[in-house]
Amino acid sequence: MLKRIKNWILDLARVMRRELTLSLTDIGVLLFFVFLPLCYPIVYTLIYNPEIATNIPVAVVDDCRSTQSRELVRMTDATQSMNVIGYASNMGEAREWLKSKDCYAIMHIPEDYSRNLGRGQQAHVEFYSDMSLLLRYRAMLLSLTNIQLETGAEIRTESLSPLGIVGESMSGSPVDNVSFMLGDTEQGFASFIIPGIIILILQQSMLLGITMMGGTSRDRKRLHGGRDPLSIDTSASASVLGRMLAYVFIYLPLTIYVLHFVPTFFSLPHIGSPLQYFPFVLPMLVATAFMGISLQILVKEREMSFPVVVFTSIVFLFLSGLTWPRYAMSWIWKGIGDLIPAVWGMEGFIRINSNNATLYDNSHCYWMLWALVAFYFMTAVWTTRNMRNR
Amino acid sequence: MLKGLGDTVKREIARLGSRRVYLWGILLVPLLVAFFLVDLMSTGLPTKVPTAIVDLDNSPMSRNLTMSLGSSELINLTDHVGSYHEAMQLVKSGKIYGFFMIPHDFEEQALAGRTPTLTYYSNMTYFVPGTLAFKGFKTMAVLSSGAIVETSMSSKGISDNKAETLLQPVVIDTHPLGNPWTNYSIYLSNSFIPGALELMIFIMTCFAVCEELKRGTSPQWLATARGSLTKALIGKLLPQTVIFTILGWFLDMVLFKYLHFPCGHLGNMILAMPMFVIACQSFAVIICSILPNLRLALSISCLTGILAFSIAGFSFPVENMYGSIGIFSYILPVRWYFLIYIDQALNGIDIYFSRYYYIAFIIFLLAAVAIAPRLRKRCLNPVYVP
Repeated sequence: MLKRIKNWILDLARVMRRELTLSLTDIGVLLFFVFLPLCYPIVYTLIYNPEIATNIPVAVVDDCRSTQSRELVRMTDATQSMNVIGYASNMGEAREWLKSKDCYAIMHIPEDYSRNLGRGQQAHVEFYSDMSLLLRYRAMLLSLTNIQLETGAEIRTESLSPLGIVGESMSGSPVDNVSFMLGDTEQGFASFIIPGIIILILQQSMLLGITMMGGTSRDRKRLHGGRDPLSIDTSASASVLGRMLAYVFIYLPLTIYVLHFVPTFFSLPHIGSPLQYFPFVLPMLVATAFMGISLQILVKEREMSFPVVVFTSIVFLFLSGLTWPRYAMSWIWKGIGDLIPAVWGMEGFIRINSNNATLYDNSHCYWMLWALVAFYFMTAVWTTRNMRNR
Repeated sequence: MLKGLGDTVKREIARLGSRRVYLWGILLVPLLVAFFLVDLMSTGLPTKVPTAIVDLDNSPMSRNLTMSLGSSELINLTDHVGSYHEAMQLVKSGKIYGFFMIPHDFEEQALAGRTPTLTYYSNMTYFVPGTLAFKGFKTMAVLSSGAIVETSMSSKGISDNKAETLLQPVVIDTHPLGNPWTNYSIYLSNSFIPGALELMIFIMTCFAVCEELKRGTSPQWLATARGSLTKALIGKLLPQTVIFTILGWFLDMVLFKYLHFPCGHLGNMILAMPMFVIACQSFAVIICSILPNLRLALSISCLTGILAFSIAGFSFPVENMYGSIGIFSYILPVRWYFLIYIDQALNGIDIYFSRYYYIAFIIFLLAAVAIAPRLRKRCLNPVYVP
């Protein structure tokens, strides 16, 4: 009995060593295991690093041409998000500018703008926005709301003080309100999306590499009459565990780089403690390794890993709830998402990294990850047995 | 003349039918991704964000505020907690995306004119729910202060009518053109489905071309095309062009006809689809010509195909990217398709404004024609490098 255990452990070590040599000598696998986690986070952050949409060109049609209307235009121009490119003589001209993408929005100040203000009536301004990108619209909308509140407060104070109603507050309102943004305090796009993306990169690169190794092994099998000369004959469990250890071993330094150094390089939100997020991601790496071994059954040749695995990145990105929150998903998509290690990994890591949550706060995600480890271990053993018997 | 071409097409159709990966990559994946995206976001806007309220005042006024907050269409008050700390704990464990805090003695101070402060916290680590929570909170905070001003003003003898205008003297009415509902599906499905289509066209084109090199069947392929590489390539890719185009049109119909997403000029979108498919195939042929190796060509096409979702500016504007990065968005066919979609479908403007985008598709084809002859030598002497 003891001898069998000893042999099993020895086999496991042999599998691990063989797998390490195989992956570290295969340039195609190295591209996934090393190049992808090293470069992709940098490339992605560089794309999104400007963080916010600024100086969006806006055209103004001012039919009022008064001090007040010019004041409004100046305020618009002074916002971070908008940049007034010029006055169009009428809506027709402004629309032409919009069509040729010289501007993305039109502000139309009607003739009666200042008259209404003077009479103490509500003055309306029309703002037409292009909707091709929600980020642009959102940035402009936020600034416009502020302008509206600011102008409103000024006018209110002006017209109320002669009536003897003063001292309500600086903003001319009896109740102040203060908004706090948590996590991504600057509301930057990179700060929002990169903490999630880097977890997905870890999972997807690992899946691609492992499935490619599986396909290569099958190519060898085909060449050598049904047996891969480089595989080690041992029990399925030792084989699965040995390979998992090899992959996780390769990924440990990369995980430190991706999760700690990448956010630091670009000063993205990074307030979580490494003692919280490294233990948290560990089961994700293990579950991903087992998941990759299970997926090998679908990859019948080396290059087949591309058509089988690559597109899932888009699906997993959406399942993670980064763009469309998970609470608004139907049970079926939520259920499928539950089976993906990176979905839990992203949820927990984002909260630890950006909200300074602890492992304890995320115990649900953490235990789900260990449940996935168990689940994918079983599927990995099953597929390994199944592939051998063929 | 046409004989070689016809034979190559026949040979290719037999190949497409012989391997399941073609059925998977050409038909199933694009359909699955499209169905997934459309079904996932079928409600348009993920409203009812889980949020909490921290009511430290417990006065009629604060309870009133809580009630109006609970009836907001944007948020869903899932928890009533007693302290900031408890609410923060809920945020950290992901149960809520924001919370609204009413301070001690809120009613008393508000009525006495001592300006109490309402605070609200939105978790921006998840953009959409964070933004929706913020919007719901802000509206409520502004409205509630408005209600108090109105009461205090009418008590000072200002007419209700006048008080209302004084509350909001300037109103900026925003008109979101083309997507007044700020529907997320209109915005995301229309960019991510073509993106997925592009990715699969890249992969399947590289797979079909370079597989011949891997298996050493490329001399036979060239021979079927009577030794002409042009015929060989056209014959090989034409069946895929047809299938992808029909698939693309089908997806257009789903988006614009079945789901009634805004589409000004359907005809121009129909025209853009085959051009887009051919441009993507040309892009893949260029990759294959530079790197005539199955694994390398697939690696590069996947790397660019996946990066396209970010760099083509579907969510973050290209003008705001660093210049040296943003320029790469224009080497991707899907960027041009996206621009055509904005002009022709979403905004429905004259095709004149999109003329360059259509021309860009043709340039991809011309570039492929210029570079493809490099493949010929490799086809005659196929070497498999793993």
